[in-house]
Amino acid sequence: MNPHYHVCHECDTLNKISTPNRPGRYKCANCSAKLYTYKPAMNERIYALNLAALFLFILTNYFPFLSFHVAGSVSHANFATSIIYLYRDHEWLLGTAILLTTIVFPLVRILIYIILFGSQFHNYLPRYATHMIKILNKLLPWGMLDVFFLAILVSIVKLVKMGTIIPGTSLWAFILMVFILAWSQSMYDPHQVWEHIGRRRKALQQKEKLATI
Amino acid sequence: MRAIDKNIAACPTCHNLVQMPFGKQKGYALCPRCDSEVYMRKSDAVQKTWALLLASIVFYIPANLLPMMHVITFAGTESDTIMSGVFYFISDKSYLIAFVIFTASIFVPILKILILIYLLISVQKRSCMHRQRRKKLYVLTEIIGRWSMVDVYVVGVMTALVHFAGLTEIKPGIGANFFLLVVILTMFAAMSFDPKLIWDIKECNENREQ
Ligand SMILES: [Zn+2]
Ligand SMILES: [Zn+2]
Repeated sequence: MNPHYHVCHECDTLNKISTPNRPGRYKCANCSAKLYTYKPAMNERIYALNLAALFLFILTNYFPFLSFHVAGSVSHANFATSIIYLYRDHEWLLGTAILLTTIVFPLVRILIYIILFGSQFHNYLPRYATHMIKILNKLLPWGMLDVFFLAILVSIVKLVKMGTIIPGTSLWAFILMVFILAWSQSMYDPHQVWEHIGRRRKALQQKEKLATI
Repeated sequence: MRAIDKNIAACPTCHNLVQMPFGKQKGYALCPRCDSEVYMRKSDAVQKTWALLLASIVFYIPANLLPMMHVITFAGTESDTIMSGVFYFISDKSYLIAFVIFTASIFVPILKILILIYLLISVQKRSCMHRQRRKKLYVLTEIIGRWSMVDVYVVGVMTALVHFAGLTEIKPGIGANFFLLVVILTMFAAMSFDPKLIWDIKECNENREQ
């Protein structure tokens, strides 16, 4: 990356980044807000992590994460069951909110990461990169898998007195997925994405020039 | 040096620096690198945040008074509000879980609303006091806000697991809906506030430079 200026998103200070190729965390000089983290090979890492996350996402949603035994009867819950039961009780607002924040938004984020970084990894120019990054920025606070994880723990403690709780396969996949997603998010830096796109564009333009000559 | 003094804004999508064509706060420019709209500041940040904040305060009252969920057993129906849930766990000596529910459902929303009111009033009064601390408080509201969703999810998980007709059943209460709205509205309120406004007051910056 070239030396550049970075505007702090918290206090609007212009920070000069004179050693952009040194890996590490960059902080604002005025308010010490975290500007971004530079890690080499961000592309490959985020792509790989999100492929793993997609696989875990399918596992989590396919298998039940908790089973509950009371007096001979059993019930299983995966992500979809809680939503189905909420819709059945005509709790549209609650059902939709849980559907969006635990299934739709996380899935969209994983897919966008895969498309955005996968296309760069395989040396394509990602189309609609602006739109994808805009959607990523919008969705970031609304994917709440980590919060849902805490909720599962609280529910286990609440239900443990009423019957037997058995954690399912997908709970482990789910925990792993939450960590992987947090890890890939901590590396994400749109600046590098655009540096990369800029380089690709230049290369393509030069190719076109050569072709016309 | 601050970006506003140079009439520069950062593109929210690609972090490119964009020279703003218009004078100060109004209007936007298009980023030459990625074609996003670039604003100097979030538009009408203070008014929008106030509106969302007041709405969330209004919804916060029924969220706490109305039942979060109903536990239906053969012995009858029992309704739980947030507070009664906390008291239940305290009487049950599950202090950790009582602490988690109290923090996520009562402490965090109130803290968030109070912090935002403090930030809005201090910006409107053009205060120069404690700017570092106010910036930290804003970051805090952004981080903790989502965690209030815990109680909504707990209701969802419990409804999914406990539905043995005739034996025990758990159904969500109307309070959960209001609580959900409080969480969503406070999150939108925190997002619509612009922390750069804290540092925008000219007189403070001049004093500091002397
Ligand atoms: Zn700063
Ligand atoms: Zn841009």
